[in-house]
Amino acid sequence: MKRLSAWRKRLINFCFPAETDTWLAVLRIGLGLQVVLYALSLRGDWNYLLAGTGHGLISRNLGEAILSLESHFVPRLGWFVPLATHAGLHEETVLSVTWICLIASGCSLLIGLASRFTAILAWFLHLCAAKSGGFVSYGLDNFMTIGLFYLMLSPLPDRYSLDWRLRKSRPRDPQHLGFWRRLLQLHLCVIYFFSGLTKCLGIGWWDGSSMWRALIRPPFNVIDAEILVRWKYLFPVAGILICLLEIGYPFLIWNSKTRKIWLIGICAMHVGIGLAMGMYLFAFIMIVLNVAAFGPGLIRTELQTYQPGTVGKALIN
Amino acid sequence: MTLSKKRVYLAGLALQLSLIITVSSRDTFWLLSTSRTIFPESSKNFWQRAEQIASIPLGQRLPRSNPVRQILTGYLHLSGIEAGYGFFAPNIPNSYKLVFELRFPDGRVEYELPRVSNVASVLRVAGLLDTIGRTRSEAFRQTMVKMLADAVWREHADATMIRAIFGSVVLPSAPEFEHGKRESYEFLYAYDFSVTDEATEQRPP
Repeated sequence: MKRLSAWRKRLINFCFPAETDTWLAVLRIGLGLQVVLYALSLRGDWNYLLAGTGHGLISRNLGEAILSLESHFVPRLGWFVPLATHAGLHEETVLSVTWICLIASGCSLLIGLASRFTAILAWFLHLCAAKSGGFVSYGLDNFMTIGLFYLMLSPLPDRYSLDWRLRKSRPRDPQHLGFWRRLLQLHLCVIYFFSGLTKCLGIGWWDGSSMWRALIRPPFNVIDAEILVRWKYLFPVAGILICLLEIGYPFLIWNSKTRKIWLIGICAMHVGIGLAMGMYLFAFIMIVLNVAAFGPGLIRTELQTYQPGTVGKALIN
Repeated sequence: MTLSKKRVYLAGLALQLSLIITVSSRDTFWLLSTSRTIFPESSKNFWQRAEQIASIPLGQRLPRSNPVRQILTGYLHLSGIEAGYGFFAPNIPNSYKLVFELRFPDGRVEYELPRVSNVASVLRVAGLLDTIGRTRSEAFRQTMVKMLADAVWREHADATMIRAIFGSVVLPSAPEFEHGKRESYEFLYAYDFSVTDEATEQRPP
């Protein structure tokens, strides 16, 4: 019975650690920047990719019809377009307004103005765009949804936001800071474990052929294959290193001695993916999530650490 | 925070993590059942069965209209955890290419690719072509190609016929590349669209 009680206490201590809001500030600023960059990157094609039948690259209506078969509860642009057209607005106007609201919510998150509201707005609008344009969505959209989902549920605002400094607003439940950070950390561990596991089970990641193919496969062939082939002996090493980094992540990121190495390694891997494969936004979101989840403890210097029992007191005052 | 409130949060955390792990497992099993891996070919049936089992707690074996399935799937989408994390794994497949051959009344022939304005959109279109290339549904593939052809047609309204040629980009290995082999295109499907709006399909012999 004593052992069970001790285990329960350990579990609660693990899931509800004393925590500052630095990680949340990193997540908010990082995701704000990510949302802005995401919207800007699609500026020229936003209407073209998300238009309904007869105007865009593919029909948004078809994507939404397939989505409806899966679930009626997933937000989509098709919810507003009929309402707006009923009010005399063109579909194009609705899509443009959505884009403007998305970029505004990103800017607002970046500076921390109306943090909670804009986190919800950014999550909702991005989700609408990602789901309505489901045929042209990829992993980046999933990670943005994950980040924004945790951000909007976390105890905002953080002390670096304008909400805190100018409007003097304070989070209602600052004692939950550690819980939400823990959830993000655990989620990242699952992501890397499964990503590493599936790579390890393929043959190509051990002999370097997958590295080569990933780098020369259109449209990721940013670096000329003539240059890449000179480094072919490094591909098996790099492939195995990526497998080890990913599959080792959930085991070695927790230990204070290996955390710094692993975090730097993973971030370096994402920088490499961004530069060598042109997946800049994907690289950025992964770095933001990693740094928010595991970074602040590493670079903590003079920041106040709350002790159990006093968690969040300074935040409330 | 009271202990009872902590328990509620713990239950939420346990549910969220179990959903993430189940979805990741299901997609990993699917990859193992459809790709070449370190496991023998004979194990594919096992992985297929494992995928089916992992789909059960996600409500995927229930009828589509079932409210439990609808709500569960809805939540997975809302939290961004509806898909697993087997990026570029277990192997890197070939990519796909779609070329449109436009024929004009004066006998002119022009070639077009699905056009977008920036790099970020190019990545998205590549993902779309992968979806079209991998689907087993001919009807879906034809519908998607027709929509892409429509987009090209809007830019070239005077074209009388469009042939959409869908192919796979075959990548050379590093030693093959050193010996002069370059990426090549393998013809998979072709669809002819005329002003009558009917598609006829041609397959490789």
